Amino acid sequence: MDAILEAHELCKQYEGFSIDHLSLNIFAGSILGVFGPNGAGKTTLIKLLAGQIMPIAGAVRVFHQDYDASEKEIKDRIGYCPQEPPFFPNKSLVELARFAAPFFSKWDGALFYGLLERFRIHPEKRFSLLSSGQKTLFSLALALAHHPDLLLLDEPASGLDDANRRFLIEMVRDFVAGGEKAVLVSSHVSDGLDELAEQVLFIRAGKSIMTADKVDLLANWKWIHFRDHALEPTLVAKLTALRHHPFGNSGLTSDFQALCAGLAGAMAAGDAQVENARLSDVLVHLTQGG
Amino acid sequence: MFITLSPASPDPLYKQIADQIRDAIAVGDLAVNESLPSIRELCEALKTSAITVKRAYFDLEKEGCIITRAGLGSYVAEVDLLRLRERKLAEFRKEIARLVSTGAKFNISRDDLVQLIASTKED
Repeated sequence: MDAILEAHELCKQYEGFSIDHLSLNIFAGSILGVFGPNGAGKTTLIKLLAGQIMPIAGAVRVFHQDYDASEKEIKDRIGYCPQEPPFFPNKSLVELARFAAPFFSKWDGALFYGLLERFRIHPEKRFSLLSSGQKTLFSLALALAHHPDLLLLDEPASGLDDANRRFLIEMVRDFVAGGEKAVLVSSHVSDGLDELAEQVLFIRAGKSIMTADKVDLLANWKWIHFRDHALEPTLVAKLTALRHHPFGNSGLTSDFQALCAGLAGAMAAGDAQVENARLSDVLVHLTQGG
Repeated sequence: MFITLSPASPDPLYKQIADQIRDAIAVGDLAVNESLPSIRELCEALKTSAITVKRAYFDLEKEGCIITRAGLGSYVAEVDLLRLRERKLAEFRKEIARLVSTGAKFNISRDDLVQLIASTKED
C-alpha cells in the first residue's frame, strides 16, 4: 500500500506537554482515526502533519516530499481543517475565500459556494457571527474547495447537528472511495466519527499507545458477561475491567479468539454472554487504565 | 440469578429484564415466595434506569409471575410452571420453524435436523 503521509518519530516540546516520538502512516484510500483523551496531543499532532508547526526531531513526508523542500506543493494538496480556524473574525466569508483562493492551484469557487449553500450558510455573513457548528462547516468547505488529495480534519464533528454529521461521514467515505486520496480525522470517540475510521491510532500524553485495524481490534475486544462460578478462574483472571454485581459479572477481554474455546460450555448453557465492545470501551480502558 | 442487558438487542431493556427473571423462575433459580431484588438494587447493578426496572416488574406482575406489596418489595408468585413451559415451547416453535426453513434452503431435511438434535449432548 502506498503511504500518502509518513511521520517518523515526531517530537515537539511545549511547556508541560510534549509529542514524544510519534510515528504513523496514512495510506492511499484509507481513513485514519486519531483518538485520545482531552489534552492527549491530537491537535498538536495534526498541526505537525499539516506543516503548521515544525517538529524539533523526526520527519514528516507527504506525497513523498518534505516540507523543507516543497512546502507550497504539499500544502496545495492538503485540505487542513483546524479546530480553531485562524480567520479574521470581522471579514465576511466571501472575503475570506477571496483571501484563501490564490494560495491554491485548483481552487474551485463553484464547489466552495455550493457547499456553503448546502450548509445553508450565507456567504456575506461575517465569520464572527457564525455559530460554532457553522464555523466548522465553513472551515470544512474551505478545506474541500481546492480539491486536496489528503484531508486532515481536527475534530470536524464538533458542534455539528446530526444531519451535517451524516453528511460529513458520507463526504469522507466518498472522498477516499477512488483509492488514491486519504483522510485523517481526530475525534472524541463518542461523537459518531468512530464508525468512520478504518485504521485507529490511540494517543495519550503525546505518545502512541496503539495503532490497529479497527475491524481486527473489535474482533478481539469483547465484553464477557457471566454467572458467578460459570467460568474457570484462570479464564476470569485474563479479563480486565472486571465488575461483579449481585446478578452477574462483566469483564473485558482484548483477545476474544483465545478465550472462545474456554467460553463455549458456559455460553451453550446460557451462563455466559458475549457482547461487542465499542471503540470507546477500548479507548477508556487503554487511556484511563480502568 | 444472572441477568445481563444487551444494548444491541432489538428487544427493549425492560423486556430483556422481564424475560430473564421469568426464565429464572421457570428453571427454579428463583423459588416461590423468594424476594426479588429491589428496583434500586437492580438499576445499580445493571446500570439502567429505575423506570426500566419498574416497567419490567409491572409487566411480570400483570402476568402473575411476581407480586409487589407496598413496603415489602416484590416476590415470586405461585406461578403455574406448566404455563411458563408452554410459553417457552411457543418460543421454541418459532426457533424450530426458522431452522426448518433455513435448513430447506441448504438441503438439510427435517430428518437431518431430528438426527442433529438427537446427537447433541446435554451438559
